[in-house]
Amino acid sequence: MSTPVLALQHITKQFGHGHTAVTALTDANFEVLPGQFVAIIGPSGSGKSTFLTIAAGLQTPTSGQVLLNGTELAAQSEKARLAYRFNEIGFILQSSNLIPFLTVTEQLKLVDKMAKRRFQAERAQQLLSELALSEVATAYPNELSGGERQRVAIVRALYNDPSVILADEPTASLDTPRSIDVVDRLANEAHQHQKAIVMVTHDQRLIGNCDVVYRIEDGVMTRQ
Amino acid sequence: MYLGLKEMRHEKLRYTLLSGVLLLIALVVFMLAGLANGLSNGNRQAIDQWQATDVYLNKAANKTLSASQLKLADKKYISGTKVAPLASLSGTLRTTANHKKTTVSALATSRQSFIMPKVTHGHAINGKDQVIISAALKADGFKIGQKVRIGTTNHAVKIVGTYADSTYEISPTVYTDIATMNRLKAAPVTSGNQQTIGGFVTKNGHFKTSKHGDLQHLSIATFIEKLPGYSAEQMTLNTMIYFLFVIALAIIGIFMFVLTLQKQPLFGVLKVQGIGTKHILAALLTQSIAMAVIGIVLGLGITVGLAQIMPAGLPFVVNWGQFGLYSLALLAAAVIGALLSWRTVANIDPAVAIG
Ligand SMILES: Nc1ncnc2c1ncn2[C@@H]1O[C@H](COP(=O)(O)OP(=O)(O)OP(=O)(O)O)[C@@H](O)[C@H]1O
Ligand SMILES: [Mg+2]
Repeated sequence: MSTPVLALQHITKQFGHGHTAVTALTDANFEVLPGQFVAIIGPSGSGKSTFLTIAAGLQTPTSGQVLLNGTELAAQSEKARLAYRFNEIGFILQSSNLIPFLTVTEQLKLVDKMAKRRFQAERAQQLLSELALSEVATAYPNELSGGERQRVAIVRALYNDPSVILADEPTASLDTPRSIDVVDRLANEAHQHQKAIVMVTHDQRLIGNCDVVYRIEDGVMTRQ
Repeated sequence: MYLGLKEMRHEKLRYTLLSGVLLLIALVVFMLAGLANGLSNGNRQAIDQWQATDVYLNKAANKTLSASQLKLADKKYISGTKVAPLASLSGTLRTTANHKKTTVSALATSRQSFIMPKVTHGHAINGKDQVIISAALKADGFKIGQKVRIGTTNHAVKIVGTYADSTYEISPTVYTDIATMNRLKAAPVTSGNQQTIGGFVTKNGHFKTSKHGDLQHLSIATFIEKLPGYSAEQMTLNTMIYFLFVIALAIIGIFMFVLTLQKQPLFGVLKVQGIGTKHILAALLTQSIAMAVIGIVLGLGITVGLAQIMPAGLPFVVNWGQFGLYSLALLAAAVIGALLSWRTVANIDPAVAIG
């Protein structure tokens, strides 16, 4: 039994104070192991994005702990959290993940520039072909289809070799066949490369490939 | 750096336009500076050529040579490495036949004085009623051997030599000796120690004792500053230049700020990916410095090009040290302008990118 890459323990998140307070998450517990593809499913407004931003260290929980590879996130400085996001987390957003003025290859080069190392051409080529993007390596985001864009976002998230990938409704702007394609590829990456991947969705049809499913309703999270 | 340059490459029109605006500002800065230098030079070129350190005038003259009257004998109050008498007469230089006319600044000093220009053609003044003229006057048709009059009197003098271009109070100079000057002015005394002059020019001069008659000491810098119109001209042009620095800063600042507001969602995405404020600001800085450098370099090039084809009557002097300094000031304006967006960038919350 391996240790969780990412674990959230007794997370509560409240917005506002007094009688206007909204509780977005109540005592949420969560963990993901290397090689696991985990889905979080729930209706709109149930607290899915709040959960992901807390997991990524973009927001601090009202109470509870976020452990990344066993280290508590809240104890870190803002600078350390930024480095943590850069090195350990790959984020895939609903849309507009990509930088409009960089080509597909340049999106990856940027990661290397930030990490102050040379462009890993071989790794880029391999990931792009794995996700059937070799043809569009020199295209700009606005020249890609929605599905291609989301696949580039996946490559971008994987490229830096993070411990965990957090995907917030990665298929929201896609039709069903394309959504299934993107989710299949995510599952494939998790299983092939022993990555921990967490995907948020509200689409029941997309969770067939998932190893673990969490359901979230009104801020209450339950493991299925 | 990478982000900033890639964006400029992709948004060529946008960044070309702003570089163009900076180019225009840089061009106006350099043109104004060149004209200010030209005017300044026209006023003081002769003074700079003296390589003097002090001027002594009548204390009642309000620090203006043309209003100052002293006697040659007043030299007794002053000592210095070098001391030369000086008199001036601004008037029309004309040939006796009245064919050629131009306004000149006639200056007089003793024949062997350290401020008497070195003659490059003809010979130095060695007799009565001789003058030497700035080479620039050749273009107006004046030449060695001509008989000319200066000012309103009928006294005729002879051009015996020319020397390197020299101007004083925006007019080309003519030099003569003190006695000839006094005859040109129809002064009552035209020889000896009681002749009227305007003042003295010295190298390292000082008063011999605390008793020094009507004399007042001026540093050469004060003397130049008090040339009629000089300070006002320079101040006007320099104020315009300083305002242009502020305008450059405002343009870059506003432009970068508007772009930053526009790109907030993008910057949010960058922050989600762990690319922080530092890198985003570096991109903004790269862009504004790149645009400023393009604007400055082209502005300098065009200014130097225009200086070649400018009419000779337009005083214009390229001073590379000063242009370098102004380039740095424009660059600093670009850097500060970009840094004005720092707070906005720092305050972008990555959580909003997730929605
Ligand atoms: N910054 C905030 N301030 C106040 N309330 C917030 C804030 N962020 C989220 N909430 C509230 O918390 C609850 C959960 O929001 P969250 O964005 O996590 O939902 P979600 O499950 O991602 O919904 P969707 O599927 O529509 O994206 C909502 O009631 C929302 O109004
Ligand atoms: Mg959401």
